[in-house]
Amino acid sequence: MLVELLLSALPVALPQEGDDPVGRATIYHLDSIETLNGDALSNASILVRDGIIERIGASLMVPEHAKVVDLRGTGATAMPPLVVSHASFFPSESRGRGRYGQYRAVDAVHPDEESLQELRELGVLFVGVDPPGSGIPGRTSVLRSDSKNFLDDAVVRDLHLKLSIDMSKTAKELLRKALEDGDKAIEKEKKAFVDWEKARKEWKEKQEAKKKAEAEAAKNGKAEDKPATSAQEGKGGNGDKGKNGDGKEEKAPSETFEAPKMDPSLTPIVEWIRKERVAHIWLDSPGEWLHWKEIIGERELAWEVVLYHTTSTNFHEVVEDIAKSGVRVYAPSRISFLPSTRVRNNLPLVLTQAGVKNLVLMPTSPNNVQAVKDWRVGLSDLVREGLDRNAVLKAISIEPAKAIGQEETVAPLTAGGPATFVITDGDPLNPFSEVVYMVASGEVLYDREKDKEN
Amino acid sequence: MTAFTRIVLWACASAALPLFAQPAVAMNAWPQDPPKEEVQQPPVEEVEEAEPEEVQEAEEEAAPKKSAPSPYLAVVGGDVYTVTRGVIAGGTVLCKNNRILKVGQNIQVPEGARVIDAVGMRVYPGLVAVNSRGIIRGNGTEARDSFDPFNLMVDLGLASGLTTVQSSLAIGKLTRGTLEGHLLATADWVNLSLSGSSPSSKRKLRAQMDEAREYLRQLRDAELAQKLGEKDVKMPDEKKAPQEHLGLLTGERMARFNASNAKDLLAICEFLEEYPMKSVIFGGLEAWTYASRLGRVGASVVVTPRQKRWADENLNRESGWSIENARILWEHGVEVVILPSQTSISLGGLAGRDLMNLPMEAAFAIRGGLPQDAALRAVTINAAHILGVADRIGSIEPGKDADLIICNGDLFDYRTFVEWAVVNGREVYDKQRATYFAHIRPRPETEPTTPLETLVEVLDDMDETDSKSQDVDVPEVEPQDG
Repeated sequence: MLVELLLSALPVALPQEGDDPVGRATIYHLDSIETLNGDALSNASILVRDGIIERIGASLMVPEHAKVVDLRGTGATAMPPLVVSHASFFPSESRGRGRYGQYRAVDAVHPDEESLQELRELGVLFVGVDPPGSGIPGRTSVLRSDSKNFLDDAVVRDLHLKLSIDMSKTAKELLRKALEDGDKAIEKEKKAFVDWEKARKEWKEKQEAKKKAEAEAAKNGKAEDKPATSAQEGKGGNGDKGKNGDGKEEKAPSETFEAPKMDPSLTPIVEWIRKERVAHIWLDSPGEWLHWKEIIGERELAWEVVLYHTTSTNFHEVVEDIAKSGVRVYAPSRISFLPSTRVRNNLPLVLTQAGVKNLVLMPTSPNNVQAVKDWRVGLSDLVREGLDRNAVLKAISIEPAKAIGQEETVAPLTAGGPATFVITDGDPLNPFSEVVYMVASGEVLYDREKDKEN
Repeated sequence: MTAFTRIVLWACASAALPLFAQPAVAMNAWPQDPPKEEVQQPPVEEVEEAEPEEVQEAEEEAAPKKSAPSPYLAVVGGDVYTVTRGVIAGGTVLCKNNRILKVGQNIQVPEGARVIDAVGMRVYPGLVAVNSRGIIRGNGTEARDSFDPFNLMVDLGLASGLTTVQSSLAIGKLTRGTLEGHLLATADWVNLSLSGSSPSSKRKLRAQMDEAREYLRQLRDAELAQKLGEKDVKMPDEKKAPQEHLGLLTGERMARFNASNAKDLLAICEFLEEYPMKSVIFGGLEAWTYASRLGRVGASVVVTPRQKRWADENLNRESGWSIENARILWEHGVEVVILPSQTSISLGGLAGRDLMNLPMEAAFAIRGGLPQDAALRAVTINAAHILGVADRIGSIEPGKDADLIICNGDLFDYRTFVEWAVVNGREVYDKQRATYFAHIRPRPETEPTTPLETLVEVLDDMDETDSKSQDVDVPEVEPQDG
């Protein structure tokens, strides 16, 4: 009895297994919380109830029956989960360069459980999956790392239009032609709409005229009016003279506009031109940036740029122009070198200094899950060499979440916000840190201890 | 040789040539004289009067350069090696947009112009490399879509003084940082082969040339008959004539040969004597042995002064290489173009014999007796001429493209570096900011505003003596090689 009283008086209660009432709370006691909404909190707790962060801060009262996860003293740090904006590492169909706008990633990519498990272990909740191929390979889809079947479980099946370019006439021609064809398709549709409207208007006028004539005929009851009515109908119709005049042979235009059929590979291009879809252009050199700008010219389109490069790059040559464009920029999390030198180049830092606002950091390669495993190594280098630590944390979690439309799930950790976070056993950017828990809407998706047991 | 003798010889040579090829051959016959397009150019003052229109047209054509606060760029105070109009000591090259506006001394620099202080330096037109590899890619008009304006090779090319290179059919400028103005033209050579080809191929070539010539003869006769009022004159069918060969005979196109040994060069000379046309010969290692004949047929020769081949002692004539090759050819009126043995920019391999060392290759020709100004022509205007773009590049003249290099010494001195390069009126290279060269003998820092301010003050003082006109008198300069 005495022991029970003492235990209840303690601010930290032990978890009570088996008691799982609806609306039960869980409290996580942590050494640090990177809320990404102002300063980090030290020695603080997150109280979760019904998938929502009920309270967050230091010295929280533990509610009765709350499940308590006390990780203090282990370096435990919580932050919003990681989001990989672009991934091509899942098994997929093989496809070359071409216009494959009709395909979504879900149609061609087959996520494997092993990779998904690794993503969970690394604290990644969402992953943007790219369609295979280059040129206009198709549309991206979004997957949660606890998914089983991609097609059914995809959070978003049809997101961005992926585009890529290289410095060749063929590559540029592919994009130019797609835009030209898109313009033509839009024009064709516009013309069809105008024709339909005209046909509807004429049809309505004719019908009204007919009714009027019939009403007058009925009113006057004169047989000589009938020929005049027939002549009037013939005038307003499609030249179907000789018909019996009752309009039965004429087909009424449909009440709703039916757009002409479009080449499915062109559909997302047309949506892009209409600003209904965002395109992601993949570039691997500053020269390609110029070629891309030349292709789109003065068009106002919705697009974001993926600066995909290997160990060396001179993208810094065009950062001001990129910043001026105001687009969201995706960059690999690595210190690169100036070409043919060992001069170190922190491109993400240069981008932010140039004024890029919406920076998203990606693992160094989208093609290998190993790059996700090594992500923290690259990130720590970026911070060591000048990039703001808080900006890095945002650029791997809440910023990519916004980019793939998951900002309501992966958001700064605040009271009232979604209880979606990842807990590491140290600084999240320390390459040696490991993920202890990943929680999504209050539900534990990954528990290192349980995982080890399994 | 006096000027009078030259004129007489020129007249004789012209008269002896078939009607259809006169312009082509006459142009190349006397490289000591300015080429045709230079001869036809009006005096400098007249060019300047015509210039504003040209510049305006260029402005309209050019895409707006939002980043450029002023359309002017002035290279001030350097010794200007114009190539075609001698050297202007302490001169100024004023560029507007992508063209050279004025060249000379005492030129007023418009306010706001970007000024390059070239005092103590030498200003040359950008060098022109034919047959390059690896700097620009693509073919013909496709080159623009394949051009990487941030490529390392572009940086190294500019650092080496190159501003225009030809690769395959494309003639492209090293427009670092932009695609605008990259593609200058498409090379329009007709490749002909007489060396190593079978007798039947040679017979076929001659038959095609004869066919083209016959067409032109029939055309001339028909046109003459029309002029004389004859009715029902039947015009020859142009479609049946071999078009490439027709272009060669009319002087619209240039023949390109590859030949190094004397035997092949002799075959080319015989061919050109029979079918006069504009021509360029790549290789030309033993060209010095047939220099006078090559001069008479008006062929241009692309040589590599350091390329060696030992003489064949079994032959009862001169053979093998000679360091005097370029000099001998030049003395016999052959237009000489210089090229290193490796026509790419090499980061390994035969260091010193690649396009980064084009001036050094020319320096070896100078060592063999080629005058320095002729060597400069060989890497600028002559190269531009065989590419058919001498009206745009290759010399510093008002109206031409603003492609300049500013060197910290004699171009042919092994210690010289390019300090700045300007392409289409844009500063595209500054050694002080170049990753690979900034640390080597950096030039002394100067206050960025001082040169312009000082210059404006000086010019204001000078203007007081001649305040009526702000136009600049470009001094009359005698061509050095005339």
